[in-house]
Amino acid sequence: MLEVIEAILFSTLDYAPALIFAALGAVLSERSGIVNIGVEGMMRVGAFAAAVAALVVPTGAAVGAGMLAGAALASIHAYLSIRWRSDQVVSGMALNLVALAGVTFLLETRYSPTGTPPIAQLQRWTVGGIDGVPLLRALSGHSAITYLALVVPAVFHLALFRTAAGLRIRAVGEKPLAATTLGISVSRLRYPTVIGGGLLAGLGGAALSTATLDRFEQHMPAGLGFIALAAMVFGRWTPLGAFGAAAFFAGGNALRIGLASSAPRVLKIVPQGFLLALPYLLTLLVLAAQGTKSRAPASLGIPFEPESK
Amino acid sequence: MGMFPSLFRAALPSLLSIVLALLVCFIAIAVSRSDLSIAANAYLQMLWGGLGDVPSFLGSGNWSLLTRAWGESAAKAALLTFTGLAVSVAFCVGLFNIGAQGQMTVGAIVAAVIGAKVALPAGLHPAVAIAGAAGAGALYALLPAVLKVRRGVHEVISTIMLNWVAVSLVENWLVVGPLRATASGDLSRSGTDEILPTAELPRLLGSLSRLNAGFPLAVLSAVGVWFWLNRTSNGFEARAVGLGMEAARTAGIDVRARVYQTMAFAGALAGIAGAVWVLGTEYKFPATLGAPYGFDGIAISLIGQNHPLGVGAAAIFFGVLRAGGTRMQLLGVHKSFPELIQGLALLFVAGRLIWDSVLRRSAKRAVPMAEVPRA
Amino acid sequence: MDFEAGEIVALVGENGAGKSTLMNVLSGLYTPDSGEILIEGQPTRFRSPRDAIAREIGMVHQHFMLIPPLTVAENVVLGLEPRKRGLLDLTAARNAVQKTCQRFGFSLPVDARIEDLTVGSQQKVEIIKVLYRGARVLILDEPTAVLTPQECDDLFAVMRELAASGHTIILISHKLREVLAVAARIYVMRRGKLVAQVQGSASNERELAALMVGDARPSPSIGSAKRDRGELLLEIEDLHVPGAQEIPALRGLSLRIFAGEVVGIAGVDGNGQRELAEAITGLRPWTSGSIRFRGEKLRNPSPGELRHRRLAHVPEDRLSRAIIAPMTVEENIALGRDREPPFARKGLIDFAGRRERASRLLKEFDVRPPDAQARIGLLSGGNQQKVVLARELDLAPRLLVVVQPTRGLDISAVRAVHERLLLARERGAGVLLISLDLDEVLSLSDRIYAIFEGRITGELGRAEFDEKRVGRLMMGAERERPPRAPSANA
Repeated sequence: MLEVIEAILFSTLDYAPALIFAALGAVLSERSGIVNIGVEGMMRVGAFAAAVAALVVPTGAAVGAGMLAGAALASIHAYLSIRWRSDQVVSGMALNLVALAGVTFLLETRYSPTGTPPIAQLQRWTVGGIDGVPLLRALSGHSAITYLALVVPAVFHLALFRTAAGLRIRAVGEKPLAATTLGISVSRLRYPTVIGGGLLAGLGGAALSTATLDRFEQHMPAGLGFIALAAMVFGRWTPLGAFGAAAFFAGGNALRIGLASSAPRVLKIVPQGFLLALPYLLTLLVLAAQGTKSRAPASLGIPFEPESK
Repeated sequence: MGMFPSLFRAALPSLLSIVLALLVCFIAIAVSRSDLSIAANAYLQMLWGGLGDVPSFLGSGNWSLLTRAWGESAAKAALLTFTGLAVSVAFCVGLFNIGAQGQMTVGAIVAAVIGAKVALPAGLHPAVAIAGAAGAGALYALLPAVLKVRRGVHEVISTIMLNWVAVSLVENWLVVGPLRATASGDLSRSGTDEILPTAELPRLLGSLSRLNAGFPLAVLSAVGVWFWLNRTSNGFEARAVGLGMEAARTAGIDVRARVYQTMAFAGALAGIAGAVWVLGTEYKFPATLGAPYGFDGIAISLIGQNHPLGVGAAAIFFGVLRAGGTRMQLLGVHKSFPELIQGLALLFVAGRLIWDSVLRRSAKRAVPMAEVPRA
Repeated sequence: MDFEAGEIVALVGENGAGKSTLMNVLSGLYTPDSGEILIEGQPTRFRSPRDAIAREIGMVHQHFMLIPPLTVAENVVLGLEPRKRGLLDLTAARNAVQKTCQRFGFSLPVDARIEDLTVGSQQKVEIIKVLYRGARVLILDEPTAVLTPQECDDLFAVMRELAASGHTIILISHKLREVLAVAARIYVMRRGKLVAQVQGSASNERELAALMVGDARPSPSIGSAKRDRGELLLEIEDLHVPGAQEIPALRGLSLRIFAGEVVGIAGVDGNGQRELAEAITGLRPWTSGSIRFRGEKLRNPSPGELRHRRLAHVPEDRLSRAIIAPMTVEENIALGRDREPPFARKGLIDFAGRRERASRLLKEFDVRPPDAQARIGLLSGGNQQKVVLARELDLAPRLLVVVQPTRGLDISAVRAVHERLLLARERGAGVLLISLDLDEVLSLSDRIYAIFEGRITGELGRAEFDEKRVGRLMMGAERERPPRAPSANA
């Protein structure tokens, strides 16, 4: 029994980082008021760029390439949404479609239709001392990204709620007009948050191809970007909340896979399909329950027009 | 309708976006192969694949060289029309229907079940299956509508969630569980049971191609949506709600009723897309829906400026491109290449205001564009 | 005008007198065409609110610029945050806010979220915000509009404290009683000009109201043909309607409207007129009391239902509530009746019928250009309003509710609208005229109800019309005996 829990914990820690970073990226962007449906696309280009870069540079540096790819896509979104006040959902969706087809095109052209060649995965670190402790030892043996994913949410949370920059970001996401009257430039705040969101989403994607797996697989991220959005909503647009929700969803997924192999009879009662649908259903329930008191940033999705005299 | 010049000017951003997307992708192939002729060839193959192998036809007189392609193009165009309409109809009342994928999925499964398990005469069978699919899609679209009206839940998030719920429940439970095809002998088949022959949508050109009744149905639907929007009071009220909800309410229009009804209409259209897919080409619900037709519908709708005729035109254009995509593989270009063109076209359409300011420099007075309306 | 350190000066005037405009210039939002502003003797020009803040002028707007989910401290220091080692120094922020509070005798829960505070506290936060940035001149625009009496007293205490420590307070207000209670000097504005200056201690409400409203101007009484009143169209009894921010908008309002008369509601903006119109036309529910339309008690009516019963409505906010700008003129005319002939037949739009009716109405109402297929958004305000009136009057309504019918219109459009309203009356309709333009109300109405703080403070028949008296009733300066049954003759 304990081994099963340990195994599930271990695989959760392997799968969760991608989701966690993507969710954090979504939170960052949306906290400043810009809807970010394009997380899926940013993860995809991030995963691809990292897997390709890892063929020529050390995997650690390749992760950086993934982050940059995500940021690049995000900068298009930022430019259209902020400078041209485009509909943010349309822009995000378009980027998803472009990323989907574009990466497939590049994959086909340069490598094989199913995926990139295998690369050296990120090195796994052993945390000394806990190897003998049951349960706790599941914490050892993961890549740097995993440990990062446990630390960054807290740092992000601190930054959002305890720094001046974080305060301004929150202000701009709620009531940009009020911020303007106090001399804060809304667009100068939104560009970095959207692009930063892309960096994080790219990191999430890179985690998929360099840590979880050892290559870019043709379907990546296979809907994970949308679960990240669900995690963001479920976690009420806070870094720690998104982290918790993402870990919860990843854990549920690991549980589902674990059950499939070790206790298939459970799946006869609760079919896999239900378990797969669960994160989305839960998010919907939370939204429906909250109603109009949802904690979404008040100016989310509304293009900001600077007052003209 | 309006004068042609103003119609043309209204369509200009879309046309320019498509042209630009075609250009960018052309350059992409040329650069990745370091060979312009391959790019040109690829595009040509795409064209022949979609419209029919004209040179071979002219040489041999074999009609099937053309009709086969027409069938494929028409099949894809039909699906894109339905999902595109599903999105544009919802826009009429100011709602962004990202849920066409989920609505199509539920419609498809219902059609598959009615097609396989219910015995009906040949004329009635497809009609009932389609009606069932439409009803399922309508109900599935009412969910986000109710959540929006009564709980203020934004339809973008709720429809995205519901998409995945539908896909998970249908593809990962129903199709592999209770509705799984019964194995025959040693063969186990994926997907659901095959539909009965009486449920199949008739092929219009016999064995010459896969052109089925879905295409004329799609064309009729586009015309029907146009008619509803421009000729009926009901459509008029829906438009009013989308363009000016407060004024519509003050003037006495029942805003809630219009919102619910229109969303149900949108969902029904997406559901019919699912039915046409099952009854026209697949003859069962296969393991997975495969292509993201629902999301494509969003692109088609926006490229078509949310106008039923624009949607139809864009659907046919991209249907042709996508049917032709399979032939591009001969030149080593992935068959999903047309999706890249489509995605880029959507991206360029998204930068609509950029087009506006570019065009305004040349036009005396810009024709006002419809924005993505939001309730 | 001049303002000295350490004094509280009030600025009063009717709607549209120019008070807010003047203060917006002073706080850097508008630029003046001519004239000058001197600060401590130096001519100054403001190009933006930031310039004004730099010159120690702080404005507390009527509509707060606060961010609801953030705390008091966060809202106050936003943009000028104290930092320590890279992080926001919340302790310093809290202390700064506390200190400012203590200095001026406030008490505010520094860590509370704005959305959890009462309106009175929120206003204090706005004041602290402005003081934190070093303001020495504070402009308060209608500060008591949303406060309870208790909170008003708190605010006055604060104002006195601030003045005592050398700040200058400029108070814009309609509430004469309050203005007299705190202000040392009072400037009275009318139609963009300064008309009087009085000492707060030496004046009273009657005098102020008279100065604001001006001498009796000859009211052009258009068509005051004596009519016999018809049926009782609208009977409202003791109506309570909630307003924004949990402050009731109507607190037990009663009135009556008969067929064949124009009833005007005179009142200062924000005293419940808007909510009254919305309640009558089905756009806002009421919590208690009753509304009877033609004898029948209304129960949560929808706008459509009421129109069906021939209750027409010309709302204010023409662009967002009366017309749909991207639609054509004839489509706008069809709104609400789009399912019936002549606009439709059996669910299908009857284009010919709609065009014909629209053309006829456009000609009758002299809309220019008389093009039924023009987009209504392109018409001038006056012509848009004519279209709206045409639509509503084509209903042959029994009761016509119009709110701010001539706002933003030029003279000829105003005249046209007025003629239409009187014509409706001639044809036997009852007209409820809600307007902030007192002249308009006085010249058109057969009877006037004065509204103040959600109640009717008085009712006057045409024979008793007296601008000064109406002014006093509107400003709560005089209370009639509790409204009884309206007098027997109009």
